[in-house]
Amino acid sequence: MLTEVHVPEDVPAAVSLIAAGATIIGGGTLVMPALNNHGSPPTELVSLRRTGLAGITVTGSTVTIGATTTLAQIEHDPRLAILHPVVRSIASVPVRTLATVGGNLFARQPYGDLAVALVALNAKAVLASQEAPVELPLGEHDPATAGLGKRAVTRAGLEERDTARAGLGERDTATAGLEERAPVTAAEERALVTAVTFELTAPGAFRYLKAARRRYNSASLVTVAATITEAGGVRVALGGVSDHVVRAVRVEQALAGRPLTEETVAAAAQAGLTELSPADDAYASAWYRRRVFPVHLRRALLGL
Amino acid sequence: MKIVNLKVNGVGKTFIARPETTLLLALREQLGLTGAKRGCAQGACGSCTVLLDGDPVVSCLIPAMTVDGGDVATVEGLADGPVLSDVQQAFLDGFATQCGFCTPGMIMSAEALLDRNPSPTRDEVNEAISGNVCRCTGYEPIVSAILDAAERRRAGANL
Repeated sequence: MLTEVHVPEDVPAAVSLIAAGATIIGGGTLVMPALNNHGSPPTELVSLRRTGLAGITVTGSTVTIGATTTLAQIEHDPRLAILHPVVRSIASVPVRTLATVGGNLFARQPYGDLAVALVALNAKAVLASQEAPVELPLGEHDPATAGLGKRAVTRAGLEERDTARAGLGERDTATAGLEERAPVTAAEERALVTAVTFELTAPGAFRYLKAARRRYNSASLVTVAATITEAGGVRVALGGVSDHVVRAVRVEQALAGRPLTEETVAAAAQAGLTELSPADDAYASAWYRRRVFPVHLRRALLGL
Repeated sequence: MKIVNLKVNGVGKTFIARPETTLLLALREQLGLTGAKRGCAQGACGSCTVLLDGDPVVSCLIPAMTVDGGDVATVEGLADGPVLSDVQQAFLDGFATQCGFCTPGMIMSAEALLDRNPSPTRDEVNEAISGNVCRCTGYEPIVSAILDAAERRRAGANL
């Protein structure tokens, strides 16, 4: 049961409460379904609603989206047109009014399509904790940042961990688009994602395609997000094909320095199949997801 | 426990919320407004849809304490005495309701759509109510009623 709902007015107050063990609630679309339907040990929530973290700034090509900015706010901001197909592919209108950007990083697959897009856009998460703020790339597992990654995963695992502690969910859900998953221990620092930031791409350079059972309000079967870089490379992130967002490194390597043609993309999809670990669930079988992936990679990259 | 103030259908309301009191629970149990329904309590069925500060939300997922000072609109606030709102009248005229459980949520989603987009396409209506589950109608009469309401509203605006 819920024993307390804190509604702090600023980030330091929220961080203190998080450090003391409270569970973060942004829009509530991940946390509340679990709390509504199951008995749970005493749980304290810290709502981010009044922490002032909502807002979108675009300076030149640099976009910064505050963590509690809702998916609906993105949908209605003409400066973020490249993300409109992404957010409109997620959940329903009254859920998008609540669901936040920060929360989407921690949605368990096959949800969390915005996180897939942000990994493809090479976005960084800005973290606040009781130490100095840090920025972390999403979807990277560079050993140099492994320590930071661990911290991000600590935060990333926060809601899931608390949920697990509350006996409400699974402990081992990959989060924040980080491929590297580190075990979460109580001693690890608890931080708060305060924003995500990325560079707008050249027109047409960002591709997004989601296969789902229905056009609206349905989980991912396969989500493909890709950014075609000026250097001739492609950065590809996948949803729906694993228990975490997949940065499709083998697809990228197969396409590096090559023109995007039916042949090269088909070969890259073959290479990428080894990176998938899809699940059977209520939406599709793993077999079907593997069949859909090459088709949707081709459609995302070639438009055919 | 915390005292929460809301404006509900234009009228100030004050109630005591427990931590587990959702906006839906407060509306139904404490304010006596039972139009919004508790269906799934997961945000998936949309039967609890109300407007919060003008935007549609699933009220089952909102701890009431977090929206102190908010402005809430529910289906109870739409009619002007015996005169139904254009959306309500279109639902009635178009037989767009059967058991009625989803109807308040459908209507609030439709109101939110028409507030933002007075001339929606059929596909835009589909998207707007994609979070509202109806197990009776097959949706077609509902979509048609919302398009009909949009037409009535546009005609009314031109008078």
